[in-house]
Amino acid sequence: MSLNFFRRVAFGLSPIDKKPDDPLPWALSQLNTVPDLLWPGSIPAEKELRKKYGEWVYGDREVLRKKFKNDKNEYKKAKDDLRLKTGERYFELNEHAIRHYQTKFSQQPVFERFWLFWGNHFAISEKDFLAEFSTGPYQREIIRPNMVKTFEEMVHSVTTSWCMIHHLDNSESVGPNSRRGLESRDTINENHARELLELHTVSPSAGYTQEDVIQLAYIMTGWGHKWSRKNLETGDVWFDQEKHQKGEKQVLGVKYKNDAKRELAKVIHDLATHPVCIEFVSTKLCRHFITDEPTVEMINPVIEAWNKSNGNLIEIHKAVIKQAFKYNDTTHKFHPPEIWLMQLSRMFDLNIPLSADRMNYNFKSRPTNRQRQLSWILREIGHSPYRAKQPNGWSDVEADWVSPELLLRRFWFASVELPRLVKSENQLHDFIISCLKNNFNNYESMTSLIHQFRFGTTEKDLGRKFGVICNLPGVLKV
Amino acid sequence: MNCTRRNFLIGGSTTLFLSGFFPKLSFASMQKKNLIIISLRGGMDGLTAVPVIGDKRLKKLRKKLILEDVLKLNSDFGLHPKLEIFHELWQNDKAAFVHATNIPYTGRSHFDGQNLMETGAHIPYKEKTGWLGRGLLASDIVGKGLAISLPMPLLLRGVPQNNNFFPSPDFVETKLIDQIYDEFKGDHNELIKSTLDTIRQRPLSMQIATDSDDKKKLAQEAAKQLKDQSGPRVAVFELDGFDTHAAQGGVDGAHADELEEVNEIVKILYENLGQAFDNTLILTLTEFGRTIKQNGGYGTEHGYGSAILMAGGLLKKSQVYTDWPGLKKKELFEGRDLNSTIDSRAVYNSAMSMCFDKDPEFLRREVFWGDDLPDLTEELFKI
Repeated sequence: MSLNFFRRVAFGLSPIDKKPDDPLPWALSQLNTVPDLLWPGSIPAEKELRKKYGEWVYGDREVLRKKFKNDKNEYKKAKDDLRLKTGERYFELNEHAIRHYQTKFSQQPVFERFWLFWGNHFAISEKDFLAEFSTGPYQREIIRPNMVKTFEEMVHSVTTSWCMIHHLDNSESVGPNSRRGLESRDTINENHARELLELHTVSPSAGYTQEDVIQLAYIMTGWGHKWSRKNLETGDVWFDQEKHQKGEKQVLGVKYKNDAKRELAKVIHDLATHPVCIEFVSTKLCRHFITDEPTVEMINPVIEAWNKSNGNLIEIHKAVIKQAFKYNDTTHKFHPPEIWLMQLSRMFDLNIPLSADRMNYNFKSRPTNRQRQLSWILREIGHSPYRAKQPNGWSDVEADWVSPELLLRRFWFASVELPRLVKSENQLHDFIISCLKNNFNNYESMTSLIHQFRFGTTEKDLGRKFGVICNLPGVLKV
Repeated sequence: MNCTRRNFLIGGSTTLFLSGFFPKLSFASMQKKNLIIISLRGGMDGLTAVPVIGDKRLKKLRKKLILEDVLKLNSDFGLHPKLEIFHELWQNDKAAFVHATNIPYTGRSHFDGQNLMETGAHIPYKEKTGWLGRGLLASDIVGKGLAISLPMPLLLRGVPQNNNFFPSPDFVETKLIDQIYDEFKGDHNELIKSTLDTIRQRPLSMQIATDSDDKKKLAQEAAKQLKDQSGPRVAVFELDGFDTHAAQGGVDGAHADELEEVNEIVKILYENLGQAFDNTLILTLTEFGRTIKQNGGYGTEHGYGSAILMAGGLLKKSQVYTDWPGLKKKELFEGRDLNSTIDSRAVYNSAMSMCFDKDPEFLRREVFWGDDLPDLTEELFKI
């Protein structure tokens, strides 16, 4: 069996990982439970970070802008101070550390790969201050625990999460015939309804119409943050009957009688169990783990597992892994930059993320360069995970990741930046060879490529070794 | 707005009588002609960028988005005050606008819409190449596309050896690139191979290391290369953030900030291209316009018809080219959006025809599957 299976479904094997005797059962056994987050540093709760978000927007919008309306420079200074005080510059760095620590050390790395998948399926794109305060905890508290439940439960949690609601403006949506709508003549905001159909569940191939989008938006009216003068838009999610569109609704031919907050769970049930949804999401899973253009034969067993288990994600994940195993030696999958970085970090035991101690923050000064390092690397290689440009998240196909600049960024990282992340005890040539041996069947030909640099341990020598090694065809893809 | 739709109906059908296409081989056409596309992602609001003057209905429906200090273009249209470089160029016949135009897509999804604005097709995700890439290929112009973005935009795909430019923090040794190139020789991956070819042929000026956040520097560098007679002939810029569902604002809101960025890029290109600006055409591209009516968050929803902002010396004259559909409820698309009366692909096809010296009929067949796109070259561009 090809060793690349460990990179196909996980992050490769670290120097201390024991090589599994039987790869398939090894992978399948990792999906039954939600592993704890291992990060020894601070892991703040979503609600706590939302409070910080509130302090930041309230402080800026309601206090500073008014206080310094005639003094641009003083305003700027005060705003920068507020950034530090509320951690606006810090929390995303900490979230990246939590995430990468997990993919580096988790004993259920296959689970972690699915975690990345679902976080991107239900992506929060760059908007307002979500990446700064909310997207990370959303990944931890909304996506993660639902990965051992049903897809329907996952969709429901995501749809009613503060982060997604804020991301897709559902709090702005008011039923025109609701009490509020009649009073203020406010109307619906279709954004969330459209993405729930298009991206999260049935996809455009279900053939929904503009009217379906409107009707779903009606059902969703009332679900929003509880606004208050003090918390502004950072209040908890609730259902506001005053904004809810009255009357019967119809989505994709199914009628939903006027039933206030209960309408949402019913329509989510129908969408999440719709055959087109099952096919759409199964295809996406296969694309992520097998190849860009998965065939019907690859996808069908996943659909069957989905139907048989009523959308139980544990069973669905297992079916995907079985297919990934089956097609491991006959398909190729190009990995996006973040997964590539996580794999290099695990395989070569790189010095990222920074230790939890040093990640500690004083809320007084700017985060240090070392604290910012991982996030900076992610951005420079073109894949800052919580800053997708659009709600469809990061692309999962090779063509979107192969461009002169994106490839050059990888060459740059491997040859210039990575050598600075090699621990001093790991600089010996033999260590690098042993890492290659753990992870690549053709490690001998890889070794011969860097043989000429075998005695060098300067940063430049390491750069020459890793520059080539990390960008070989068999490393950029499996 | 006191004009009716018919007053504006110009061009289009009249040019269909042209039986052939004969590029003028004057000295001017020997000069390299540059085509620059600025993608405005999120749905650019044509009525904010190029508002109609004095339309009572628009005022009523957009109470919180009213524009003051609009720059005047003509008796019917104004210009957003943040688009001042366009206004300046307008005085010299170097800026123009196409209004009430869009790709033939009415689905109001960003992702489908952006896919279609780049592929130029009718079914989302069906085509894997962009209309600009196909246009270059059909015109035998290879290795002359430049994207100012980290991923290669779909718009430019379809022709090999495009470049993209987004400087990295440090240099990469040529030797390393050569070595990786050798290792990929035996690989089946054609995309990576051709990308590595491009990397190896990059001009020295693209091997700089700088701050890629600095959009100004990137635009300056793009201008430098476009100026070079042997440099790229096509450049693509990417801007996002036009999806203003909330707090869209008027003169200073969220949409104004985005327009300011467009203005900044065009300004830098204008200032840095020098004489080459006369042989340049800049066009914007977006997936759809926005609803007439403001929504509950003082923003606007996804709509249909929008506008194309144009600049450069290759324009025929300053004009707002439109077949204005009107803003009365029954004149709106589905009662809510500015209609599109000009398939924007006709503008892009004509622009490629002029910049690449190719017959528009030929390009229409090669790039847009022979779709019914009238030739607007005579109306819009210098030929």
